[in-house]
Amino acid sequence: MSLRRLQTWLTGPRLLTLGIVFALAWSLSRVDWQQPIGHTGGGAAALQVLLALFPPELSPEFLRICVVSSWHTLAYAVAGMSLAVALGLPLGVLASGVLAQSADGSGARRWTLMASVRFLLAAMRSVHELVWALLFVAAVGLSPMAAILAMAIPYAGILGRIYAEQLQDVPAEPVAALRTTGASSAHVLLYGYIPMALPDLLSYTFYRLECGIRAAAIMSFVGIDGIGFQIELSLADLLFRQVWTLLIFLVALVVAVDWWSSRVRRSMAY
Amino acid sequence: MTATGVRLRRAGEQFAVAKPLVAIDSASKVYGTNRGLAPLSLAINAGERVALVGPSGSGKTTLLRLLAGALVPDQGPRSVIINGKSPGELKPGRELASLVGIVSQRFDLVPHLPVLHNVLAGRLGHWSLARSVLSLVWPMERRAAQQALARVGIADKINERPGRLSGGEQQRVAIARMMMQSPLVILADEPVASLDPARAEEVMELLVGLVSLDMGHGNGDDGSSQRTLIASLHTASLIRRHFTRVIGLRESRVQFDLPAGELDDAVLDELYDLGDDNGDVEPLAGLAARDG
Ligand SMILES: Nc1ncnc2c1ncn2[C@@H]1O[C@H](COP(=O)(O)OP(=O)(O)O)[C@@H](O)[C@H]1O
Ligand SMILES: [Mg+2]
Repeated sequence: MSLRRLQTWLTGPRLLTLGIVFALAWSLSRVDWQQPIGHTGGGAAALQVLLALFPPELSPEFLRICVVSSWHTLAYAVAGMSLAVALGLPLGVLASGVLAQSADGSGARRWTLMASVRFLLAAMRSVHELVWALLFVAAVGLSPMAAILAMAIPYAGILGRIYAEQLQDVPAEPVAALRTTGASSAHVLLYGYIPMALPDLLSYTFYRLECGIRAAAIMSFVGIDGIGFQIELSLADLLFRQVWTLLIFLVALVVAVDWWSSRVRRSMAY
Repeated sequence: MTATGVRLRRAGEQFAVAKPLVAIDSASKVYGTNRGLAPLSLAINAGERVALVGPSGSGKTTLLRLLAGALVPDQGPRSVIINGKSPGELKPGRELASLVGIVSQRFDLVPHLPVLHNVLAGRLGHWSLARSVLSLVWPMERRAAQQALARVGIADKINERPGRLSGGEQQRVAIARMMMQSPLVILADEPVASLDPARAEEVMELLVGLVSLDMGHGNGDDGSSQRTLIASLHTASLIRRHFTRVIGLRESRVQFDLPAGELDDAVLDELYDLGDDNGDVEPLAGLAARDG
């Protein structure tokens, strides 16, 4: 291949792909492949953990603990997500720019608003929920509210960003038709953008709720009760049968949310 | 009566003629590098039913969207005036809603809302935000929406999703929405393009019916008088039957402007360039196929 042909072939996306491939190859070359993956005697320990699954801990008292802690985890996840939706939806609407659209197209003010809200959303989501949790614990001490806020902020950042895109992807013609009825931007949001984006908005929110359950489960270290906290206790006592039971409850929780989400989506099919 | 009085009355009459309902004053529209509409001037009086004809790309949709205020002319909004107001300048709301409405080429319903709410969307310009929110849960003016749907012949589809209706039925929902909006000037972009002749005739009758219909939403000045219809279509027989005036557009310029009765197929053929080399093409079928 001549240099000229190489130059035309190496456009932006291809260059990026090549860069990523090189970075990956380099990082693999840096791994010390001689080092065993587990520690010595790891095989026996892993076997012990695995065998604890047959059977997991199923005593009534422990199952009661599992139910209560699952309930707590779900409650924290739902509280965190509700707050995240309450923050993320208005921010997403602002970031999408759909409220500021006119027949004339876009103005500088609209652009500034969109850009600054997008920046805010990016800042919110670029800090992980565990880091937010540490910050809140440092600021207000161990409290359930710290955990909920820690989850709500980055999740609102993620939701807002995705909501904005889903709103922008709504078909343009029905929206334009609504505008010609004399409807204001807020009306058009209510009768056009939101209804048309709703299946996508809900679907993504449910997916995030699943992630939220995982996040709530590992918030135990900021002192909130839940599956994560119980796993920590059982692990400390090397009670692997209990750990398995708790993991099964966690999986069941996520599967239940998934089932609920697909039911809601099916009922909305048009 | 004195001579001066007569002269004054004459002047008044002339003034009435000189002040049409719709006045387009050399409005044009350029899309990026594409010419949508060359500078065009047009005057349309209240009560006229105007057919726009012209091959695909001649600027019919652009003209209608300028009139609807959905596009702003390159010369600024004041080069399109309807009843003394400029639709491109009006804020969203009752005044704009009562002035002009459009049934678009594609039917433009919101597929996720039931027919009822799509019809009620015609009221959004008249409603406060609170009322609109409430109406999503508890539909306002349901009776009026039912009547509008009954008038277009699909009363039984009120709870259906638009996606489950035929193209013709969706067109009727859009017309019912227009009834709810009840504007002074009714625009329709190729309202019969995808319909069979019988359906096309029915839809044309509905649209013409709207012109003289008292849609009676208590909007005061606009509810009573004759409305004005401006529609693009390609079928000479429909134009002669339902319109008073026909304007031929070609390459975004006015080619002819005639009383609808004087439209004959030869004029149309020339406009669509079927005259010489394609003399054998059946005009109507050919024309209908040309526009998407
Ligand atoms: N959104 C647009 N962007 C660029 N060009 C456009 C757009 N809409 C229309 N045009 C151009 O403007 C001209 C007139 O189009 P249109 O008004 O849609 O004509 P018609 O409705 O008579 O078919 C055409 O040449 C078309 O390509
Ligand atoms: Mg068109």
